[in-house]
Amino acid sequence: MSNGTVTRQEDISHDGLSGPAWFALILLISWLVLPLIPLGIWSISRSWFFPDITPSAYSLRAWTYVFSTTSEVLPALGMTTFIALCATLLSAIIGLPAGRALGLYQFRGKAVIELLILAPTIVPGIAVALGLHVVFLNLGLAGSFSGVLIIHLIPTLPYMVLVMAGVFANYNPEIEAQARSLGAGPIQTFYYVTLPAILPGLLIGSLFTFLVSWSQYILTLLIGGGRVVTLPLLLFNFASAGRNDITGAISMIYILPGVVLLLLGARHLTGRNSATESLRQI
Amino acid sequence: MPLNLSLEISVWKNFRFLCIFFALVFPLSAVAETKVDYKNWEDVTSAAKGGTVNWFMWGGADNINHYVSDYIGGELKKRYDITLKRIGINDTAEAVNIVLGEKQAGIDDKGSVDMIWINGGNFRTMKQGDLLFCGYHSLLPNNNLVNWQNPSIANDFGLAVDECEVPWNRAQFAFAYDSALTKNPPKSISELIDWVKKNPGEFTYPAATDFNGSVFIRHVFYHAAGGPDALLGDFDQEKFDVIAPKAWAILNEMKPYLWREGETYPNAIANLAQLFANREVALYFDYDPAIFGINVENGIFPETTRSYGLEDGTIGNTNYVAIPYNSPNKAAAMVAANFILSANAQYEKAKADVWGTAPAIDISRLPEEDKLRFLSLPRHPAVIDPAALSKKALPELHPDWISAIEKGWQENVAK
Repeated sequence: MSNGTVTRQEDISHDGLSGPAWFALILLISWLVLPLIPLGIWSISRSWFFPDITPSAYSLRAWTYVFSTTSEVLPALGMTTFIALCATLLSAIIGLPAGRALGLYQFRGKAVIELLILAPTIVPGIAVALGLHVVFLNLGLAGSFSGVLIIHLIPTLPYMVLVMAGVFANYNPEIEAQARSLGAGPIQTFYYVTLPAILPGLLIGSLFTFLVSWSQYILTLLIGGGRVVTLPLLLFNFASAGRNDITGAISMIYILPGVVLLLLGARHLTGRNSATESLRQI
Repeated sequence: MPLNLSLEISVWKNFRFLCIFFALVFPLSAVAETKVDYKNWEDVTSAAKGGTVNWFMWGGADNINHYVSDYIGGELKKRYDITLKRIGINDTAEAVNIVLGEKQAGIDDKGSVDMIWINGGNFRTMKQGDLLFCGYHSLLPNNNLVNWQNPSIANDFGLAVDECEVPWNRAQFAFAYDSALTKNPPKSISELIDWVKKNPGEFTYPAATDFNGSVFIRHVFYHAAGGPDALLGDFDQEKFDVIAPKAWAILNEMKPYLWREGETYPNAIANLAQLFANREVALYFDYDPAIFGINVENGIFPETTRSYGLEDGTIGNTNYVAIPYNSPNKAAAMVAANFILSANAQYEKAKADVWGTAPAIDISRLPEEDKLRFLSLPRHPAVIDPAALSKKALPELHPDWISAIEKGWQENVAK
């Protein structure tokens, strides 16, 4: 099993990248990295006037502020990460069975359910949240961590469900039956058969979910009522006030998880994956 | 960023509209509790002990955040065992909307907002919507330091305060310029008109949707009306119809000479600050002159920035803190409101390297040594002396006038 994986990876690396692929890669990296350069420079600049190419004075003031207790950036970083992780976990718990049902089975009203799941990506979240705000207030969920977590599921769930539905559409449930017939229990079947097969899709879905939750501004503000402080809220405070230095410094922190997740997930974003490959070779 | 910003703002404006709409359409049996249950100050401080104050305020300036979180928060903890939680927002309307939403949901005693930094239209929304806790001024010992005889303190944009908020800062509109680049900046609206024509592309002002853009347009309006006297009091459509065309004519006359030929206007004061910082425009203005010094210290504005008022005077206002009717920590909020009025807190705030904003208290009511402390404060060279500025202070208009002017500008000038 492990031998198969190694050979497969070697095959890919032998292929190399073609010219256009290199071009696309460079373009992609430029798009990702270039906009970050001015932000990085802003975060350490004291004065930077147009049309100067570099700042005329540098200072670590923005960073000092960001790491001070007054700014609350570090607690907000923790809060944003925790909410995004919980939202991802909940989305996976809900999205996995939902995606399986949509991907594998035909049933009456399936189109309607698909439309309903897609709805949050079509209907602006603010419209839904406005109505829910009153409900949340009555339930005592407004201004609480759980309220914000639940409201984040609105924009994150569609991504998870749709990705999982796509994964299960190409999934053959008969291998589960085979495992069961060989004596595996439901948990063993899930862990050793289903999970490895859907893992790449699950990871991509989780990546989307995490980043969508990570970048929520208006829903957090509305339901959190200012008491659940996430990084986008702090970032926007300074962006709208024209404080490019502090905005730059908070942005640098804000992009960290995205970069880390992208690097970790990059292996699985290729569409080929070792798990299904090795399954086929069994 | 500017596009997003205007989008967010319009979202909030619409949200507020929706909230007001729902509050009107589905009135819930929420009666504002404006009665004061405390007999004296000792009652208040003992009830406040161990309490928490969630203070919602604009969070876009690190120096103000430091002052509030570190100085005020620290002192409240030390003196009264009160925990201050500063909640940074982009727009005061966000806090108003939270209280509106809570009232709509019938949450009348467990609200999440204990104090708001507020004035103008937001105060009007809250006062008229019975969203405020009122009638507690006589309890606050430091209320004696406030000169309530001054109409610009007793009225918030033309609306009587009625013990529904406590003054925090005084602000008065002023212009700023880079003394290294501009030798003779225009000192009146009529000079400005000529100056703009002689220096095409060097001036612009934010759209009327911006707080500061709107107050600039009001200066032109005052000029067209020959002074503010005719405009004071309730909105008068007949007066408006006489004066407005003159004001629009002036602004339209300037338009082709503005930055980008007046095709577009900055949509926020931060954008005008950026244009001034980048030397794309030669003049900047702000309702709070302290910002000139702050921006120089932050490296946004050049060191040679200087500021001035207009010969005909500039519009001044007071900004306040208010306690929502459904705050569960009213006693602690009153202690906080009282503390920010104290000579110590106002002095700390007046320091140029802390904030540099003009005190809301009447310095002449202080004991001699405190008075001297204020008078000997060094001023940032970029910030005009507030005392000199306030000699020619013009009153703010009733919010209905302001709305009409803002709407008229959109229809007659922006198009």
